[in-house]
Order: sequence, then C-alpha cells, then structure tokens
Amino acid sequence: MTIEMQKGREDEAMKEGLTVSTDVRTVTFGSKMKTRGLRAWFGKSEVIKGIDLDIPEKCVTAIMGPSGCGKTTFIRCLNRIHELTPGAKVQGEVMLDDENIYGPKVDAVAVRRKIGMVFQKPNPFPTMSIYDNVAAGLKLNGVKDKKLLDEVVERSLKMGFLWEEVKNDLRKPGAALSGGQQQRLCIARAIAVQPEVLLMDEPASALDPTATAKIEEAMVQLKKQYTIVIVTHNMQQAARVADYTAFFYLGELVEFGETAPLFENPQKELTERYITGKFG
Amino acid sequence: MPRLMDLGMDRLQNMLLEMGKLSEQTVATAIEAYHMGKNLQDVNRWSINLKQLDDQVSELSIELIARFQPVASDLRYIKACMEISYGFYRYGRYAHDIMEVLETFGDLTKCDRAVVETTAEKTKEMIELSVEAFANKDVDLAMKIVSMDDDVDDAYRGYIAVLMKSRKVDLRCALSQTLILRYLERIADHAVYIGKSVYFIVKGEEPAFEEKS
Amino acid sequence: MAGIMASSGIDRRRRITNRAMTGLVYLSVCLAISPLVFILADVAIRGASVINIDFFTHLPRPVDVSGGGIANAIVGSFVMVGLASLMAVPFGVAAGIFFSEWPESRLSTVSSFMNDVLAEFPSIVVGIFVYVLVVLATGTFSALAGGMALAIIMIPIVARTTEESLKLVPRNLREASMALGVPRWKTVLSIVISTGKAGLFTGVLLAVARAAGETAPLLLTALGNSFYATSLMQPTAALPLLIYTDGISPFPQWQADAWGAALVLILSMLALNLAIKLTVGRRMSHARPEN
Repeated sequence: MTIEMQKGREDEAMKEGLTVSTDVRTVTFGSKMKTRGLRAWFGKSEVIKGIDLDIPEKCVTAIMGPSGCGKTTFIRCLNRIHELTPGAKVQGEVMLDDENIYGPKVDAVAVRRKIGMVFQKPNPFPTMSIYDNVAAGLKLNGVKDKKLLDEVVERSLKMGFLWEEVKNDLRKPGAALSGGQQQRLCIARAIAVQPEVLLMDEPASALDPTATAKIEEAMVQLKKQYTIVIVTHNMQQAARVADYTAFFYLGELVEFGETAPLFENPQKELTERYITGKFG
Repeated sequence: MPRLMDLGMDRLQNMLLEMGKLSEQTVATAIEAYHMGKNLQDVNRWSINLKQLDDQVSELSIELIARFQPVASDLRYIKACMEISYGFYRYGRYAHDIMEVLETFGDLTKCDRAVVETTAEKTKEMIELSVEAFANKDVDLAMKIVSMDDDVDDAYRGYIAVLMKSRKVDLRCALSQTLILRYLERIADHAVYIGKSVYFIVKGEEPAFEEKS
Repeated sequence: MAGIMASSGIDRRRRITNRAMTGLVYLSVCLAISPLVFILADVAIRGASVINIDFFTHLPRPVDVSGGGIANAIVGSFVMVGLASLMAVPFGVAAGIFFSEWPESRLSTVSSFMNDVLAEFPSIVVGIFVYVLVVLATGTFSALAGGMALAIIMIPIVARTTEESLKLVPRNLREASMALGVPRWKTVLSIVISTGKAGLFTGVLLAVARAAGETAPLLLTALGNSFYATSLMQPTAALPLLIYTDGISPFPQWQADAWGAALVLILSMLALNLAIKLTVGRRMSHARPEN
C-alpha cells in the first residue's frame, strides 16, 4: 500500500476506535471471517488440509498459489458452495463475525445471502434482461416493490462500474454484453443482495487487460463497503489490488501477510520461490 | 530452469562486476600517482567509462522492472544494483578528483604524507572488500567495511584538527592533503553504502546501526 | 520451378480416394432417405385423390355411398392425444426435473432407469395393460382408456427429453443462483427451467407426435367408432385405427380413405416437426462471442 493509502486507513481505523501502532505497516482491522482447522474433500481426495486464516474486514485479501493448491475449493467453502458438489465434504469451522457458518442449526441459504460470489466465467442468466439479472437475487426472494428494485439496480450497476454503459439498455438480454461487461453485471448482481463479504474466483482470468483493469478499479471501490476475498493465479493482480495476500500450496497455508512486505520480502522460502518463478 | 529474466539479471551482475574491478583499478592508480608524483591519464578516461556504465546499469534495471515485474529477492537485487553501481561510479569520480588535486598542486613529494598514505591503504582495502562482498554476496565482509569506516573518518578529522593547531603550515601541502583525505573519506563512505546494499540483498532489510557522517 | 505445390502421384491418389469416399457417403445418404421419400410419394399419390372438404368434415359413409370422410377420426385423435398430454406432461416434466436436478438420490437413479425401460416397452403391451385396468373395469372401450394408454407411452419421452434439456443448462448458472442465496427449489423452477424451456417444449411436441401415430394400444382401448363419440366413455375413432380397419377392408373406396387418412396423418407429423424447428430455432440464445 502506498503511504497515502496507509494514512487514509489509519484515519479510518482511528475513527473506529481500533488500535493503531506507530509503525505504519501494522494498522490492524478486525477479522470479518476466520477459518479454523478447515479441511475439505472431493470424495476421498483431501484438497484442503487444515487452514487457519483470518480475513480482515473491508480489505481485499488475495489467495494465490499454483494450480491444484486448493484456493478455489477454499473460497467455495467460505460460502458453502463446495458442499453442493456431489461427493464433497467439509470439516472445521468458518466464522463469520464469530458465528460458525457450518454450525448445526445454520441455514446454508441464509449464509449465501451474506457471502456473495462472482465466478471465473461470467454467468449472467441468459433468459433475463440486464435489469432482471441484477434484480434476480431480490426478486427470487420475494421483493416486488418496483421503486426499490429500480434503486437497487441502479446503485449496484454503478458500484460495478457498468451503469454508464447500460443505463439506456436495461431491457437488453444479459447475455448480449461483452465478456468484461458480463462480469461486471455478475458483480452488480452479487452486490444487489447486500452481502457482507464478496468472494471472487479468478474474476478477470477470462478477460482482456482493459476489462481486467475495470474490474480491479471496481474492487478498490467495493472494498470500502464489502470485505473481498479474491482467488487469483495472476501474481501481479494480487500485487496490484490486494491489501493482504495468502499463499497456498498443496492444500496448506504457507504464508499470509500484508501484500507489499510479502512481495518485497517473503518470510518463507517456498513463497519466495513461487513468486520469483523459480518453481520447478 | 533459467527464467526469461535471468538473462537480464546475469547481464546486470556482469556489468557490476566489471564496474567493481574498474573502479578498484581507477582508485588504486590515482593513489599510485600520488605516491610517485606522476600523472597517469588513464584515470580520467576510466572515470568517464564508469559514468557510462552507471547509466547503462540504470537503464537495464528499469527495463527489467518494466518488462518482468520482479518481486522479492529479484526486486531487492535490482534496487541494490542501482545503488551499488552509483557507488562504483563515485569511486571513479573521486579518483578523478584526486588526480585533479595532483595536477593543480604539482609536486607534493616534500609533504609529510604519512597520514594520507595510511588512509589511502585503508580506503583501498575497503574498496576491495566492497567489490568482493558484492561478488560473493558476503554479509560478513559487508559488515567489516562498516567497522573500518570509523578509522578513515578519524584520520580525516584528526588531520584537520592537527592542522588547525599548527603554527607553521605549508599551504600547498595542507590544502592538497586535506582535499585528498576528504575524497578518501567520501570513497570510504560509499564503500559503507555498498556494504549496506549487499546486506539488503541478502537479508531483505537495512542493517540497523548508526553511521557517523 | 516445379516446387512443392505441383501435383505428385500421392496427391492424385489422395484426391481420387477423397472423391470416391465422398461419393460413397452421398450414396449411403440417398439410400437411407429413400424409404422415407418412397413412402411419402406413395401415400401422396394414392391419398391425394381422396382429399377434399368432405373428407375433413363428413363421417364415414357406407361402402356404396360417396362423400364419406374421416372427421370423427380426426376429432377422436385430437381428443385422445389431448387427454394423454394433460395426463402425461405434468408427470413427465416433473419426473424429468427430478432426474436432472436431484441425481444424487437413490430414487432418482432407479426411477430414471425404469423410465428408460418403459420407453422401450412394446406399445401393444401398454394397450393390454390399460385394457385390463380400465376397459374391463369400466366395462367399455373408451377415449379415456385410449388417452391413458397414450399417456403411458408419452410419459417416458417427456421425462427423458426434459431431463436431457435441463442437464444441458450449464452448472454454473445453478451455482450463480445458489450463490445469491436462492433456495434450491426456486433455483430449479426459476432459473433452470426458464433456461431449458426450449428443450422442454420440444420434448412435449415430440411426445405428441409419437402418440398421434400409435395404433396398437388404441386397438385394445379405444377400439374405433364409425360415428362421433358423445362422451369420453365410449369407443372412439382415431386416425391410426381408421387406417388399419379401412386398409384391411376389401372395399377399394375405404382403402382409398385409408390412404387419405395416412396422408393427413403424415402431413400433420411434418407440420408438427416444422413447428418444433421454427419455434426452437427462433429461441436460440443471443450470446455474443467473447471479445
């Protein structure tokens, strides 16, 4: 983070009454989500082998690592989507604000309303218009107030940096947009239901650099309101947008910390080898 | 398996090794000129060479950063290389300045050159250590340079103090020796900076100690 | 310079082989289509002479009286296929949804298998089954029994095409909906079905087309009628039945009627298939390629 960004964060933190140390690098935010002993399986194969990770609130946390390290499975455990796959199993605790989302009485559907997700390949509902796509989460949950829906659609599209491009074409089918626009539509759709956390699984990997830049800009704005966790295989993207970065390898958490120090001076040799491209 | 960037990194390393040897040679020649009272023109030429090499190192470093977005040890290495290259360039520059003193002041063989000669030897040693520390990424050598800096500083300040107390002063000797000691002291400082950069390459952070300037 | 592009012996041989194989393929296609073409042509020629307004609006008349038609068969077919659809479509679609969206359940896998078996059942066996169950129980041949027999034939078709169309809906659409905090059943009803509805529609039409042409089960359930049936609980005429009875009769006039009825039936099939092609074709998705 640049010094100016850090200063801004310190001011925010002061207002919230959080502790600020004199060393600019250790401004602490509370953790929005915590995993304790999280393990996950696909059938017999253990993909995540016990992860303890604290996700700081209203920050972008990037999860990076080579293919097969479990990063996608990990975030799919954070909103209980992993268990929808036949043969999938999860063990351990995932806390959202001190409540275990895997608790015995917890309704998975309610969890998913609080923890939204944007997928790798944009997936707008093809039979719905742009407006209906954004409003889908609300409409399907029974919201009928047209005025409210209009407001929500406009607000969400603005936060997804898509409003200006589509505001006159809201009835166009969602699938008629370009790839980058579709992905921003999916972001708008996800935030329309006002989640607290937004999970993004390689959101820009299917997009060209210009579209990617727009998504990254959106992320920086979105983190003012939402806690964001992003999985990426593109290290430079993690270096650009993330406040905190976690490095996964073979289902385990190798290193976690603020992005700039982690990229300048990683503590673990494995991390160093991965980010400098010296992996075999 | 070598990475794309390794080609550039190797080139950077080689350029710096070349600069190291050249700057060592340049300073040694200037000091020799002082001993023998002769004028050795090579020093000027080499000093200009070192400036050009420093520019090339800068350009290569920027190119590597723009093209390959290095991180971690690679990034620290490039940053340190830019600093060390500047240090080697400064060696050459001060050697050139010493030559200018010799030109300006003419024959200095009658001066009491003990202090300058011992200081020059120390400085030469520090230069050699700095080049070796970089070549081998040796943190211990780097720290040794730091410890030697005090002696050079003391010699310089001591000489001035003595000078101020003397009643009879040969202006030519006094001025020229002061200037040369000053340049030697600056060379020593740069050797210390180079040592610190080597420490940074290896450890990833600045060494924690005070330096007297 | 002769160069690499000039024709060599190998190239010529390859070209000849290519042409020969292409020719063989074309020939095979012609052979495969020829029965269809012959039948169509035959029926058209023999049946065309009987087609006129009377044919569609009059009841069958005795042998030596002219101006007879197949109106009751047309109505009868409509009624029974309609009845069958009303019974089969809801069950078939529901079953198809269940097979597709809850594949992990034991009931689902077993039923899906049994559904495939039912689809292969000889239709005469279905006819016997409904004969015993309905005709004997009610004491009469009826349109109801005919409708039920056709329904039993339609259900597996509807279920299978429904299942397959819904399976084509990409998995990530379901995940997108679930990730919004939409419960599973709503995801299925709102997202999956609306995305796959083209396939559902096709499936229903295909099942209707099949049912309209079935003869064997109707022999044992609807029996046939020379007049209009006045209630669902009477023997009822149907196009395939009429083709059968008139076709094996010794009277050339009735035989001609059979050809006419066959032509009507085949043209209806074609029209239905065309309708499927046109409606589904127009509904193709609007997605643009990624740019």
